Amino acid sequence: MNEKVVIERTYRASVQELWDLWTTKEGFESWWGPEGFRVEVHAIEAREGGTLHYDMIADAPEQIAAMKQMNMPISHKARGRFSAFSPHTRLALTHMIDFIPGVKAYESSMAVDFVPAGDRVRMVVILSPMHDEHWTKMSTMGFTSQLTKLDKRFA
Amino acid sequence: MQLDAFQTLADPTRRRIVETLRTGELQVNDIVAQAGIHQSGVSRHLRILSEAGFVSVRPNGQRRLYSLRAEPFRHLDHWLAPYRRLWEARLDRFGAALEKRQKARRPPPKET
Repeated sequence: MNEKVVIERTYRASVQELWDLWTTKEGFESWWGPEGFRVEVHAIEAREGGTLHYDMIADAPEQIAAMKQMNMPISHKARGRFSAFSPHTRLALTHMIDFIPGVKAYESSMAVDFVPAGDRVRMVVILSPMHDEHWTKMSTMGFTSQLTKLDKRFA
Repeated sequence: MQLDAFQTLADPTRRRIVETLRTGELQVNDIVAQAGIHQSGVSRHLRILSEAGFVSVRPNGQRRLYSLRAEPFRHLDHWLAPYRRLWEARLDRFGAALEKRQKARRPPPKET
């Protein structure tokens, strides 16, 4: 089943302002990533098929502590590309998920639509939760590989 | 055979039946006509939908009326909620970043 999660917000801003937050280094770095993480963009090519390379870095002290405790690096390299790119209208971001132990590399995509209305813009983000199922798997596997490491250490 | 909510809706014919029932209570003939599916298929899928809790049936004279039940949809919604929350938080940060940029730009630079 191709279930999607659709989230939308309306901002009092120009499309250009929203677009910049997705497609420029400074813009992307200013908000992307889960709570407690920051990103450092190495390449962002604002065009169809353009590359997006960045590091996702645990930033908040409790997040750093959590990663260390789980024996995970506090930073990982993320690789993606703009799989759709219609300036000020629509973009899609596809990430390559190739760092999950035991899971074959796969791609995960999200699409964003920008719909101007007067002095506001409606931004619609469409996600596929199937991708996140893999994340669930990853956290399980991460934990398992951790236990394996412990086994090795104490073997 | 007990299917979970996603497995139940994974079948396009069952999704079509569910969509047809969104308008309200219907009998099999109406579902067949509106969904454009053969009667035998509809009966089989209605049984599966009913076993999975998506559909309830009540007799009304000679007729049997089918309708949707809210519960499995609540489960689906519940399952999706964390993904929505994750992104709600992300978009909160998006909004905050936007505001910060807008403030930094104000007052607008004088035209030269």
